[in-house]
Amino acid sequence: MSNILNTLMQEDRVWQGRRHRQSSQPAEPTGYQVLDNQLGGIGWPRGALSECLLDVHGIGELHLMLPLMKTLSSNARTVFLLNPPHTPYAPALAREGINLDQVILVHTDNEGDFLWTLENCLRSPVTGLVMAWPGKLMSRDIRRLQLAAEAGSNVCVLFRQRRYADQNSPAALRLDLEPDQHQNLNIRIVKRRGSWPGQHCSLTMAHRADLSFSETPQVVQGPWPDAGR
Amino acid sequence: MLWLYLHFPHLLLDHLRRSHEHQRALVIVEGVGHKVIQACPIAKEQGVQAGMRLKTALTLSPELHIVRADEQQEARILEDQARWLYRYAAYIVPVPPDGILAEIGSLEKLYGGLPAVWQTVEQGLNERQLNAWIAIGHTPLSARLIARTGQGECSSDAGHIKRTLSQISLFEAGFEDKTCLRLQRLGLNTLGEVFNLPPAELAKRLSPEVLARIQKIQGTRPDPLTPWQPAHRFHQQADFVQEIEHSQGLLFPLQRMLQELEDDLCWRQQDTDSLLLILHHRHQEPTRLRIRTSGPEHRAEAFLKLAQIRFEQHPLRAPAMALILSVKRFIGREAPGDRDLLGDTQDLNEAWHTLISRLQARLGSESLTHLSPQADHRPERAWSASDIVRKPNRIPPGEPTQLLRRPLWLLKGPQPLTETPATWFSGPERISGGWWDGERVHRDYYIAQLQTGQLAWVFHDAQTGWFVHGWFG
Repeated sequence: MSNILNTLMQEDRVWQGRRHRQSSQPAEPTGYQVLDNQLGGIGWPRGALSECLLDVHGIGELHLMLPLMKTLSSNARTVFLLNPPHTPYAPALAREGINLDQVILVHTDNEGDFLWTLENCLRSPVTGLVMAWPGKLMSRDIRRLQLAAEAGSNVCVLFRQRRYADQNSPAALRLDLEPDQHQNLNIRIVKRRGSWPGQHCSLTMAHRADLSFSETPQVVQGPWPDAGR
Repeated sequence: MLWLYLHFPHLLLDHLRRSHEHQRALVIVEGVGHKVIQACPIAKEQGVQAGMRLKTALTLSPELHIVRADEQQEARILEDQARWLYRYAAYIVPVPPDGILAEIGSLEKLYGGLPAVWQTVEQGLNERQLNAWIAIGHTPLSARLIARTGQGECSSDAGHIKRTLSQISLFEAGFEDKTCLRLQRLGLNTLGEVFNLPPAELAKRLSPEVLARIQKIQGTRPDPLTPWQPAHRFHQQADFVQEIEHSQGLLFPLQRMLQELEDDLCWRQQDTDSLLLILHHRHQEPTRLRIRTSGPEHRAEAFLKLAQIRFEQHPLRAPAMALILSVKRFIGREAPGDRDLLGDTQDLNEAWHTLISRLQARLGSESLTHLSPQADHRPERAWSASDIVRKPNRIPPGEPTQLLRRPLWLLKGPQPLTETPATWFSGPERISGGWWDGERVHRDYYIAQLQTGQLAWVFHDAQTGWFVHGWFG
């Protein structure tokens, strides 16, 4: 680099794009330091949509949300679960210290009701977090939801299939979730507003079933007598 | 005692007119249907007058709406008026078919003079778009007679009232034809002339009933009346001249009814959480719509929004002839607890109720549920979904360490395990129970990772084989 450039840089006369990252976007910490670091040190954006792209359930996707659910539900903010694919299991949620009085499960029959409900939840000041499992969403529906999310200031996470990763989306944050063989959750940032995508991180999710990999598996006896072995 | 009488010259007409946004010529005809008894201003402009034959009226105005007078309906409407008047005066007596009497002597001090009382009543009439002739008298009958002639004035001066009264003709005073004729033969035409006769003379010439009536007008004979008591419920009915086909058209009359409900609730200092709307159709059973709010509510605006959502979801089955709003459940109003003095912080509790009510109105109340753990060993019974109930100040339970490790997702029913898991982690955990209610469960649970990377909660049932029961989400 030439001397002039060096001088300019040292004297801090040139605005550098890197600083843009410290934007004061309202956000909620994810509760995972590793992920927070990748998300500009702030976490889940508030007043905007986030998307988690995953193919199968049971890879730690709910555990990713648990710290936020716990904080919000104990601060008297309501957490909505909209059309979850399975039943969120109350004893497990209670064990994680979530105030179940603040968790509301909503089921809708058709897409019109789904969007309407989601929009209403997003616009309300009581809502802390909305987790929604939409079926198929049109691009203009997501835009409509994004507008509703901007009207409120809560976190909204849509769980969608990974094949939608290529689809254009106005969501502020898009995460691609993938499990590995050691119970970790590999997270790739597909899109983050105000920053470059492509960061990776890996969260240890073994604690969700009290597993620790240093030990040998605790199965007393191989329980797969005829099929497996 | 001082009495105020409200005479409604065309109550049914007023009642019908205020339920419609777009006014059209309207007349009320007598029961048999030959004669017009009340005509609205639009009809009057076209030349229709009370007392006219219906055929003549129809020739003058071909698009005339015709409503037949119905005594029961009139009585009900009159009672509606008594209900709001009751807020201003304690001692009121409805006088069917078209009048209400109120004792106001005791109110003068409260309102600060007779003109203030008069004004309050007039304002109440204006708010409800009603026409009434008001009069004041020292006896119930005198107030009534003056009101019916339309000469009432805001004055309690005995001399003035007497002068007005004495000019009323005997026909207007409501005596029977025979009596009138007899008095006319004596050369008496107005009440004043009858008053001037000595009572003994009157008693000799007339029947005791006529004398009693005259004395009641004058106030020399007691005229006891039973005060009216309002029912402990809210009931309003709007009748439509033109049947309403679209639910949007119901919102206009409903808005006025809800506003009256809000006023009523405000006077009672109560809230409600359930409204009943009944729609009457011509050939079908009435439609009953119940609108519930998730918490106590009194604002017309909030009710209207819920009704709107409800109407959008349930289109009308048939055109509506009448709309009834009925409220039977009242809840004492509570002071808002956690709002600060200046109202800076948003009232979250209220916002919560608004949101939940909206969602319930559109999706149905069974679509929203709370989750809670249940004391049972069988995983499918260890949780329950219940209706939404706000428990505002419940302390969240402390760290429940005694609970066992369970997956965050429970499948709606166990799914057969189709592949060999990649890795086995912990197990078995035996869950056996249910012998007491016939749904016996005898399973060994394991935690295993599948090829796809999912962490599953699988069980082995001695009889049926291997199943996945949950995901560690």
